[in-house]
Amino acid sequence: MKEILSIARAQILTSLRERVSLFWFLIFPVFLFIVLNLIFSNIGQEGQMHFSIALLNEDTPVAGAPADFSGIVAQAFEHAATKSPEGGQPLFDLTQPEAGEAAKAFVARERDAVRLGRLSALIVIPAGFNQSLLTRLATPGAPRAAITVYQNHGNTGSEMAAAIIGQMIAGIDREILTKAGKFTQDDAIPVVTSWAGGEQQEISYTDFLLPGIILMGFFVTGLFGVPGSILFARDQRILRGYWVTPLTVPRYLAGFTLGQLALCLLQFVVLLLLGRFAFGASVGFAQPLPAFYLLLSALTFLAFGFLIASVAKTADAGMALANVINIPMMFLGGLFFPTSGLPLALRVIVWINPITYLAEGLRSGVGVQTGTLPTPLTVAVPVAWIGACALVASRRLRWDVAR
Amino acid sequence: MTNATSTQALMRVSDLVKHYGEVHAVDGISFSIPRASVFTLLGPNGAGKTTTLEILEGIRDPDGGEIEVFGSRLRRVTRDVKERMGVLLQDANFEPYLRVREVVGLFCSFFRSHLSVDEILERVALKEKANAYMKTLSGGQQQRLAVGVALVNDPDLVFLDEPTTGLDPQARRNIWSIVTDLKVEGKTIILTTHYMEEAEALSDHVCIMDHGRIIAEGSPRELAARLGRETIIEFTAGDLDAAALQPIADHCKSVYQDGELITVETEDLVPTMEALLAWAKDRGTPLSNLIVRQPNLEDVFLSLTGRRLRE
Repeated sequence: MKEILSIARAQILTSLRERVSLFWFLIFPVFLFIVLNLIFSNIGQEGQMHFSIALLNEDTPVAGAPADFSGIVAQAFEHAATKSPEGGQPLFDLTQPEAGEAAKAFVARERDAVRLGRLSALIVIPAGFNQSLLTRLATPGAPRAAITVYQNHGNTGSEMAAAIIGQMIAGIDREILTKAGKFTQDDAIPVVTSWAGGEQQEISYTDFLLPGIILMGFFVTGLFGVPGSILFARDQRILRGYWVTPLTVPRYLAGFTLGQLALCLLQFVVLLLLGRFAFGASVGFAQPLPAFYLLLSALTFLAFGFLIASVAKTADAGMALANVINIPMMFLGGLFFPTSGLPLALRVIVWINPITYLAEGLRSGVGVQTGTLPTPLTVAVPVAWIGACALVASRRLRWDVAR
Repeated sequence: MTNATSTQALMRVSDLVKHYGEVHAVDGISFSIPRASVFTLLGPNGAGKTTTLEILEGIRDPDGGEIEVFGSRLRRVTRDVKERMGVLLQDANFEPYLRVREVVGLFCSFFRSHLSVDEILERVALKEKANAYMKTLSGGQQQRLAVGVALVNDPDLVFLDEPTTGLDPQARRNIWSIVTDLKVEGKTIILTTHYMEEAEALSDHVCIMDHGRIIAEGSPRELAARLGRETIIEFTAGDLDAAALQPIADHCKSVYQDGELITVETEDLVPTMEALLAWAKDRGTPLSNLIVRQPNLEDVFLSLTGRRLRE
């Protein structure tokens, strides 16, 4: 056991002291986390006063109705989305459903965009809104239909947009009621704020991003760390020095794996503390399911590292191969952006990519995403990859320099 | 620890064979190594000495033959045997970002019983470098550490594969001193080297290998004595063809040409020297770097194979 712990310790110390590996395993994930947070958490923030919003008017004017209040509200936002005569930037960039697009699909897509920080707010004017307003004018105190505004609570830009939308609706309302001579504060159009993260949870972009960045950190550590360390040690005949002692390959492997898992744990702690204290992340990992997916992720990426180490002839070749695999796997696994709507060829990569399943499993586990894949599949695909990589590595990985 | 006075063989190798395709790297060699002695495998590159060592160290499995070590007959080296042996590999390397102390501690953890890190560092005079990173050590210091690492388990049997190759004379002498101390302590040492003077200075028994076979063995003195009462004359004489050397060949046992270096073996020094001086005077050839000496292991190899060891 002591040799396993010693190998693990040596692996950790080497990774922390060697600048290139330190960059990939710690500095790069931290840097990316900070940059993505700064970019996507503050879309449309102060100074710009330009917000991307979506509007769905589900109300259909009734023939012969004395007024179309739903249309008036919708027009107000359409007007705010047109350029001023001076050519200045409009307040809103407005998205509305395409002709024939189902309301439910539109709401689902745009809510997702709000949650991911790509859209500041989604306004939904419900069916029957106009009739409800007309009834209220005739009968004070009658029940009222509410306009729903979806916003991202942790996103400053989203909160600003929602505030402006609320003010605009209140302004329209006041004008209508004043003209009708019936304005009282109690009769104002109600606006319900709803969180795009769903389930009454306040999900920020940071909360969505944090599990993805942690997985990316594990991925980079496995993909680059394993072939880099093992092939370098083999080619430099460092491993050969071990094989003339009682140390065996399985024990070395156990120590090396333990060291890599400890590095993943360190990465996790650093990113979690950064997310929590610098960006206000509230997502929690201290439950069995997230812990399971974190361990499964670290093991899957370790297995990928061993796969690369077994097919690359030298450390340099291993690094090059890791780079080739890195980009498609990382960006087509849903770590940073949704992968829906990709061309078929890229979707195939998404389907076979274990990151797709691990990211969804982890995000569902911590409650920042509603799972779309069956839970057994999010476990089975990574486990299958681990098995395949282990099989190839056990047959092909050379532990000593070739003669 | 072994009994330094015992003459019983610590290791016996019988008909050891290792092939790489058509190449017979080790071709049925046999030898035995007495306890508390320095046993040296000597030979040019490709002679098979490193392959032999790698089999004995447990890095490679033999294709045939038998090894008897510490009284047990084995087809391959076992973990228990490794607990009692220490190995300095040719081109030994360590993780560059570990400290000297950490490297020694790491190797200590591989053995059931071992010396302390400080004992090892003291033995190889690296205590003041205990906290230095490996990458900051000089070549000589790295090699001393490699020797120290080979000794962490206080082994009975020590393999030293070309321990001084590439080192400066001072660093080489430091390693020799460590080897001499080990021998005094009663350790059994298996050494390979390119350096004749190293083999002569350190070895109790020398096996000369060529093309995977043992072509001669014995103590350095016994091997040199094979050349009888011969004396060696060496000089450099510019480019000469073989025919130009014929007048000398008529007055000596043999003449070898290796580039500009001419080596003359003779059993009767005075007539050979007279003939050599007359030859040089007639041709106007300067006998640069002329030396007259007793035969050494290099001459033994030359006389057995017609080639120099470092060719």
